[in-house]
Amino acid sequence: MKKLALFVIIVLIFGTVSPSLVNHAYGQNDPSILLRIAVQADKQIVNQLNKIYGDQIPNNIQILYDKGHTAVKSLDESLSNNDVDKAKQDFLLTMNSFMQISRIISQSSEKVVVVTVSEKSNRNLSNQLDRLEKYVKTLESISKRHYEIDQNKDEFTKAYSLIKEIRKQITVSENSSQNIIELKSLVNSIKNEIRNSISEKQSNAIKDFFEKFLVQIDQKLIEAKDLGRDKNEITKADELILEIRELLSKNQINSAKIVYSELKIVLKNIGISVKIT
Amino acid sequence: MTSLIEPIQSNNSLGDDGILFVRNDSIFDTMVKTPLLVASMIIVAALLPIQSSFSSPRDLDLIIYPDGTTHISTEIDIDPFLNDYELNLFGSTIDNLVVIGDNEFLLDVDIIDNSALIQTFGSSVITIEYDIHDLVSKQGKLWTFSLDSPSNFTLLLPQNSAIVGMTNLPINMEIINDQNQLTLSSGKTEIDYFFSTNIISNSIENTNQEDYSVSAMIGGITVIVLVSIVIIVRNKQKNVKSIQKDTTIGYKNNVLDIETIFKLKPDLREDDKELVKFIFDNNGEVLESELRKKFLQPRTTMWRAVKRLEREGVIEIEKKDLQNLVKLRKNMEDLT
Repeated sequence: MKKLALFVIIVLIFGTVSPSLVNHAYGQNDPSILLRIAVQADKQIVNQLNKIYGDQIPNNIQILYDKGHTAVKSLDESLSNNDVDKAKQDFLLTMNSFMQISRIISQSSEKVVVVTVSEKSNRNLSNQLDRLEKYVKTLESISKRHYEIDQNKDEFTKAYSLIKEIRKQITVSENSSQNIIELKSLVNSIKNEIRNSISEKQSNAIKDFFEKFLVQIDQKLIEAKDLGRDKNEITKADELILEIRELLSKNQINSAKIVYSELKIVLKNIGISVKIT
Repeated sequence: MTSLIEPIQSNNSLGDDGILFVRNDSIFDTMVKTPLLVASMIIVAALLPIQSSFSSPRDLDLIIYPDGTTHISTEIDIDPFLNDYELNLFGSTIDNLVVIGDNEFLLDVDIIDNSALIQTFGSSVITIEYDIHDLVSKQGKLWTFSLDSPSNFTLLLPQNSAIVGMTNLPINMEIINDQNQLTLSSGKTEIDYFFSTNIISNSIENTNQEDYSVSAMIGGITVIVLVSIVIIVRNKQKNVKSIQKDTTIGYKNNVLDIETIFKLKPDLREDDKELVKFIFDNNGEVLESELRKKFLQPRTTMWRAVKRLEREGVIEIEKKDLQNLVKLRKNMEDLT
């Protein structure tokens, strides 16, 4: 019996610890991916150095490159010898050296200003349109899930024809800003329409949620009374439950949500936790 | 010759009353109630997954566009008893945000700086999609992606991009439509990349560029051997092919015609029909990862689609080498 208990403990400890071990299985599917990335980076760095410096590579960069290139060779060897730990070290050393080189190159080769793509002027119009199209498709898919007959069909057709037109304008370098504004506004109105049209369904789902929840709280409050918990708090909770039910009957879902937040605090004070079953 | 030092295990004078040298099993006997310990371990083990599952992303997929904007899609398990859920958005410049709760409801969201307050009421899983402009910066021709991720994530880099530096080890790398997709672990990650018209082949190349003539000779001999083998094997294959043909016909008869499937399931969505067609054309079974590659969908979206088809009774999911194998159901008519 004792041995069995010890065995169970060991299994449980292992079961608890094992998920954390999985995170360390880097490149587990195919360790050669490390070499693939490192070799690509090496060749790319050589290309960049040839383009910028030709045969006159500055000494500091040459030292860094040699360090990185040697690490690539070592990585290849480590993988051949199935030495995964060494391979990881080699990979990080390689990518660190090449990262330093690429940053030196990009700082010295041009008058450089660090740019974040959060500045609108730096965003590519074609990419922006791709993203908008993806957004429209997501909304269309939500709309279709809730209605057998596509309620917003005309709006979506219009959105897709606008996207097509803007693409044409981009191809011939024509100004498409007006159409983009129109598309964005159309997409916003579609989103609002979807939200409004499903709000009734959504309200019913929230009401169902509350109904199950409040029944269980009622039961828990009766038990709390029997256990002699704080009477004032229990009365307060009862009042809040009544208020939520009243608000739900008037379809004032948002107000009910606010009162529910208050109720949760009171329940916590009483020492009640409720889970829907 | 007598031994001066006796091993403790064989020292009979240290009985159960010994104080200094107590055996392991005596500890359990005298200090801890074993059943109690087992029970508490079971409780801890049972609670651990629940604690770690709430508020942690189930999936986190990132796609970087060529202009540096990143599309994020994630699915998060949340406590259904929360009114709202505060999500860290990784930045403040957000576009095209969509949050979907249980029952495919569009959830209300308030964005405050870097976080989104989502009205989750009753939802236990939420799907979030948005575009963010804060994760990539550009210096000269060098692009740098940086993220401090709460969980493992996949990152699809733009076409023609070449990684020239990274700060941590990738878990995996795949090529999807000529784009590198990395799987990375949680924590801080920085990746530097250039765009190059002279992009390097994705195949694993040998770093030793040695004598080509030796390779040519070996190649020549290999070709001759292979040709001979092919000629010998081809004759045998004629018989095998006819058997395979029979099997394929058998499969198609067994699984139902694609048009019949659509007739039996007229409510299937158009995009789901495309998935079914693709599975059908692949002899009725494909890996879920292959579907993601083919249709360029994030993991979460494809997972939902596959689950939807499973609910419809069109497909069944099997585990194969830790992956989901999606198969067309053979007895679909029984379900209608």
